[in-house]
Amino acid sequence: MAVVHNWQIGRSMSYWYPEHRPRRQFAAVFDVNKCIACQTCTLACKTTWTTGKGQEYMLWNNVESKPYGFYPLAWDLKLLKMLGPQEWHGGEYTGRTLFEAAPAGKRVLGWRPDDKDYAYPNVGEDDCAGTIENGAGLSVPHLTWFFYLARICNHCTYPACLASCPRSSIYKRPEDGVVLVDQSRCRGYRECVQACPYKKVFYNPITGTSEKCIACFPKLEAGEQPQCFVNCIGKIRLAGWISTPEKASPDNPIDYLVHVRKVALPLFPQFGLEPNVYYIPPVHAPVSFLRQMFGPRAEAAVRTYQSAAGDPDLAGLLGLFGCTEKVVPRWRRQDEQVIAQDETGREILRVPLREPVHVRKAFDEKYQVARTNCP
Amino acid sequence: MSNSRISRRDFLEAVSAAGLGALVASTGRAFGLEAVTNPLATYPARGWENAYRDLWKYDSRFTFLCAPNDTHNCLLHGYVRSGVVTRIGPTMRYGEATDLDGNRASHRWDPRVCQKGLALTRRLYGDRRINQCMVRAGFKKWVEAGFPRGGDGLPPREFFQRGRDEWVRVGHDEAAALVAAALKNIAETYTGEEGKKRLLAQHYDPVTVEATGGAGVQVLKFRGGMPLLGMTRVFGLYRMANAMALLDAHIRKVGPDQAVGGKGFDNYSWHTDLPPGHPMVTGQQTIEFDLNAVEHCKTVVVWGMNWITTKMPDAHWLTEARIKGTRVVVIACEYSATCTKGDEAIVVRPGTTPALALGLANVIMKEKLYDADYVRRWTDLPILVRTDTLKYLRAAEVFGNKPAGLANQTRVLAEGEKEPPPGAQREMLIPEKMRQEWGDFVWWDRAANAPRPLSRDEVGEKSSVGDALLEGPVEVVLADGTKVRCRPVFDLVREYAAHFDLKTTEEMTWAPAATVESLARHLAREPGTTLFTVGMGPNQFFNNDNKDRTIFLLAALTGNVGRIGGNVGSYAGNHRVALFNGAPQYINENPFDIELDPAKPARPRQYWKPESAHYYNHEDHPLRVGNRLLTGSTHIPAPTKSMWFANANSILGNVKWHYNTVVNVLPRIEMIAVNEWWWTPSCEWADVVFGVDSWAELKHPDMTASVTNPFLTVFPRTPLPRIFNTLGDVEVLALVGAKLAALTGDQRFEDYWKFVRENRTEVYLQRILNGSTNTRGYQFADLEAKAAEGVPVLMNTRTTPKSVGYEQTADSRPWYTKSGRLESYREENEFIEAGENLPVHREPVDSTFYEPNVIVAPRHEAIRPAAPEDYGVARTDLSCETRQGRNVVRTWAEEKNTPHPLARDGYRFVFHTPKYRHGSHTTPIDTDMIAVLFGPFGDLYRHDKRAPFVTEGYVDINPLDARELGVHDGDYVWIDPDPEDRPFRGWQKNPRDYEFARLLCRARYYPGTPRGVTRMWFNMYCATPGSREGQATRKDGLAKSPRTGYQAMFRSGSHQSATRGWLKPTWMTDTLVRKHIFGQIIGKGFLPDVHCPTGAPREAIVKITKAEPGGLDGKGLWRPADLGLRPRYESAEMSIYLSGGFIAAPNKES
Repeated sequence: MAVVHNWQIGRSMSYWYPEHRPRRQFAAVFDVNKCIACQTCTLACKTTWTTGKGQEYMLWNNVESKPYGFYPLAWDLKLLKMLGPQEWHGGEYTGRTLFEAAPAGKRVLGWRPDDKDYAYPNVGEDDCAGTIENGAGLSVPHLTWFFYLARICNHCTYPACLASCPRSSIYKRPEDGVVLVDQSRCRGYRECVQACPYKKVFYNPITGTSEKCIACFPKLEAGEQPQCFVNCIGKIRLAGWISTPEKASPDNPIDYLVHVRKVALPLFPQFGLEPNVYYIPPVHAPVSFLRQMFGPRAEAAVRTYQSAAGDPDLAGLLGLFGCTEKVVPRWRRQDEQVIAQDETGREILRVPLREPVHVRKAFDEKYQVARTNCP
Repeated sequence: MSNSRISRRDFLEAVSAAGLGALVASTGRAFGLEAVTNPLATYPARGWENAYRDLWKYDSRFTFLCAPNDTHNCLLHGYVRSGVVTRIGPTMRYGEATDLDGNRASHRWDPRVCQKGLALTRRLYGDRRINQCMVRAGFKKWVEAGFPRGGDGLPPREFFQRGRDEWVRVGHDEAAALVAAALKNIAETYTGEEGKKRLLAQHYDPVTVEATGGAGVQVLKFRGGMPLLGMTRVFGLYRMANAMALLDAHIRKVGPDQAVGGKGFDNYSWHTDLPPGHPMVTGQQTIEFDLNAVEHCKTVVVWGMNWITTKMPDAHWLTEARIKGTRVVVIACEYSATCTKGDEAIVVRPGTTPALALGLANVIMKEKLYDADYVRRWTDLPILVRTDTLKYLRAAEVFGNKPAGLANQTRVLAEGEKEPPPGAQREMLIPEKMRQEWGDFVWWDRAANAPRPLSRDEVGEKSSVGDALLEGPVEVVLADGTKVRCRPVFDLVREYAAHFDLKTTEEMTWAPAATVESLARHLAREPGTTLFTVGMGPNQFFNNDNKDRTIFLLAALTGNVGRIGGNVGSYAGNHRVALFNGAPQYINENPFDIELDPAKPARPRQYWKPESAHYYNHEDHPLRVGNRLLTGSTHIPAPTKSMWFANANSILGNVKWHYNTVVNVLPRIEMIAVNEWWWTPSCEWADVVFGVDSWAELKHPDMTASVTNPFLTVFPRTPLPRIFNTLGDVEVLALVGAKLAALTGDQRFEDYWKFVRENRTEVYLQRILNGSTNTRGYQFADLEAKAAEGVPVLMNTRTTPKSVGYEQTADSRPWYTKSGRLESYREENEFIEAGENLPVHREPVDSTFYEPNVIVAPRHEAIRPAAPEDYGVARTDLSCETRQGRNVVRTWAEEKNTPHPLARDGYRFVFHTPKYRHGSHTTPIDTDMIAVLFGPFGDLYRHDKRAPFVTEGYVDINPLDARELGVHDGDYVWIDPDPEDRPFRGWQKNPRDYEFARLLCRARYYPGTPRGVTRMWFNMYCATPGSREGQATRKDGLAKSPRTGYQAMFRSGSHQSATRGWLKPTWMTDTLVRKHIFGQIIGKGFLPDVHCPTGAPREAIVKITKAEPGGLDGKGLWRPADLGLRPRYESAEMSIYLSGGFIAAPNKES
């Protein structure tokens, strides 16, 4: 065991390998408030990567309704139960991570789903916590509630899958931090399936290997965002590169949202993997649940998000999500325009804070025709 | 267990004992692999990564347009590898769309795509693609036997075993010949006095027989499903209907002046998308606005619209507007998906929208919070109504003068003057006769204590209405000296709305009184800043026109009609064919005078006649109650003997009251022809299915537009070779035209499709563009070239976002009503007789716990409907048919103590069937990857072999209700509607058909639905005789027809087992004044998709009984419930999880 630093839990922790961060780390922000559970991301991934035999059940990307939705069944609940109630003190997690809680002979605390656990991949769809008896008038936070949680591999800084692989077939790419299962080396022992707390490694019984989200690295290599980002019509997703907190740069949109505004938070940071998909928590769900899922900063993140109406930078950046296929490493706002830039500062595109209203003449002299909204 | 796994376990035990250092050192040695010291840092052999790079590659890319009836119209890229489309994606180029002036959209419109579009890769090559054409064996025999018929004209039954017959695959040419021959034979059979006698012998209602006028072509029904979705391809069925005038001329030996065409079914109204109260208030089809307008309002009331599931690519406008401060209020009859995006979420009882709107209006009127200026300038609320006749008081009655001349953007057409084509119209056009009928109106000047005349020119800035009397009666002295008691519309409405005090509103609607009160005050605080986006939910109830009229009342009181940031929009369907109001250039080209020069415009003449498909749906007859025919004379349908439709599953496969239609209506129809590329339930019940191109294979271009976004989108021709043996829809039409030419010797049948046959369909498209108000200036070739690159163009509407009513408000242009104002009041006899001259609340016609269809009202001098006795029926007659025309008035205090007549028999659940994210209607719902995510029961491996497919239909029920019924989460249940006529009339004596018609489905515990309210999604494929046979005979148990491959998603029945064809008298008047579909001319009475029945498919009260346990193979609990993961089954840890208890001690952020 090595000792590594995990900024998300505000302390050092033990990990199977020594700390080594890639040259740059792929990261993402998902705005849960914009997610509509349309599953376009799921299908974008599925039709691109997992249409083969043995992959039928696999959803490298899935969207589930929380709290009653799980894919696979009970994935987080089961692990939380195994881990037991834990504590944060301020920004420091004082409970045990999955590495620290690993049983003797194991590197990670984990469990392996039964094949039936992958049935019903949209169980709990739109099921709410709390019951409507007859009518209701709800305001934020809602007393009955659910929200959508879109999930991909978190391409963790401290991947449990990687740590658990006895064949060392899982690695992190130094150029982008993408975590891959080497399909030529893997022999399908499924230690990674057991170890990944997010259950984002899947065993393929036909190839006999385990597979997972590859962050569409062939696209990243071409400067493009992954399929599930580009196809996201809720426009909840932004892919980019994250810095460690001390190196955060406000013109990097991921850094801005994660480190500067602290509005986007990791998923179950207490597991200790330093996951790199950051969620803007849903403003309508109860804080107790959000804290359990996104850590102690959840309430502050909700407040920051709710203040965006008076904050054109934050509102503007959130409106830039999904406007381009390109990865957006830098951004800035200029009055009513939000501008996406490449690494060199060159403009990729710009979008308005509000889509403008065009009013045409009632009679078009050039074409000798009336223009009307009621034709 | 394999040896390698045993050795692996041994190995793991060995290394874990040895510890980390030993492991790292030993990994390579143990496997003969290169050692990896720290895979976070370096990894030796990464060449294998090329496998994924290779998987990502494609050979070529092309663009096609995906446009089911969802209003989104997404240009998509298809990525081709080795000739096969392997994946699909958005073009990301909507942000490059421009208009003729150079205005441009932004990339915030990108991406435009959804999961259903992406899944088309599974569909384009799917096993249910239609290859060539399929003809039902019995039908083929009937045609080939020379159309044998009995004495009454009906074909012998043995030829018509639809749904159970064998199929024959034939080429398009042969199929077209069969269809042409059948059209001709059916038209001949029902032509003339002989034809009428046959129809009467077949027991058609005499008025419908008379409506044919002895022209047999009138029993031929055509329908292109939502024709806006394909101006030539889909709308072409109406052009075909127009060509039937040639057939009529041939059969009846008449000239062009006497010939009539076929019948064209309606679309927008057929889909229950038309909000029928919009024309009642505004005089035109519908108000809607592009959904990005939500960025420009301060409050949006999302009312009965599940925006984030049905307007998915435009959902971000809502969530992004919210980020920027727009207050989002969601009103729904459950805690819906869209409720999760609400700053406020109000859960109400289904079908009570009019009551809620009246409750809100009452607060505003009572507290005098209304926008008085708007009320005076834009509404009929100041206009006086005579309390004796219940008509608007006319200026002529008071002042004795003639109607004023009209000059406000209006032109009165002299008697006999023909209006110019729509694209050449600038002003509102009113026929002289109607102008004289309407006259002028009167308001009461409080300052002068005198009546004042009001012409329809006087609206907005041109309004002369000053200090008008709004409350209280007034006695007016008429020109002839008589005195009449009059009241302003405002006063009549105020008195009525007062019945809906907060307590009553809460009891009726379940919306908490405090919520109603605070929302009303909020809406009134800043007039003109609220958008109401009203969805399909409330529109699918029988009281849908009441709903529109009361919401418009609320909006008018708060100044929220006709403004970019303040308006009422209705969201259902992609309806506004008038976006291309030059369409008559194509659909109505005169078949006797065809323009064969591509550079010249056509000379339209409409021979076909429109008809509401709701009569077909209503067992092919109009509404009669007692001694009264309640269908207006302008609406009367003809009998349906043939149906040919394209791009539609709604007219048959997913038709309301589906099982009654297929069991009782279809046997009287002699030909059903369908253009399809995928085997739907409509195909299951058809006679001829023409295999046509999918969107990805179109070889003839087409175009469409949208009511929810500003884009004009072209279906470009694609380079993808046809995957199966198919033709374009227009080519099928041209082919049948050619066969009719051969049968009749009339070359014009063939010439009518000349440019299709010459592969120049764009000639017709360019004619439409040239003739349309908002597209003139565009060249089709340019648009197609852009579309091929993934770029649409903007419609040149008056504004972007377009917002209907903008001109009325910004230019002080009159509305298309008699008064030129938004009319809360309806003075026509039909409305007075129905007790609906005021905007009232009727209880739902079936989906209520109380006596259905009752007008809830106090004693009111203006509510004086015809009683049941006036129609010669007993007041106690609540049968479904009679109920539709039953006008009974009760106060809420009385009504709440009168239960639904079936309540005592255990029918106690409202059953409603809204649309969901996993299908655009039923497209592409039976695709495995889509289906498996549809709801909680998706399972690709079908562990439970009872499942009809990889998912299945289910009913959402409140867990407390389910518990009372002894139903567990995931159990199978029977759902039974009113046994009088559902699932089909006569089921009691027809077990063979009842077996596939009775609804059997899973029950899902759904805590978000109120008690007594159950929900089943609208989108899934129904059970058919073939699917039942598949389940019984296939080894895998799939509900897949052995003969056709049709895949059902129910074991038996469907969501349409409980629906019915409902007709409401106020949908069928001859007097309602409304604008024509195309252009600015005003007329009255029936108009398809404007003033026309809508049906009410969300109306059903049902009984639910347990059928089977939900556990695997019918034993025990459904697994997720058994594991404690479901509502009401929570394990201890699940309860902790729900409360956030796995983080032990809540603490403050430091």
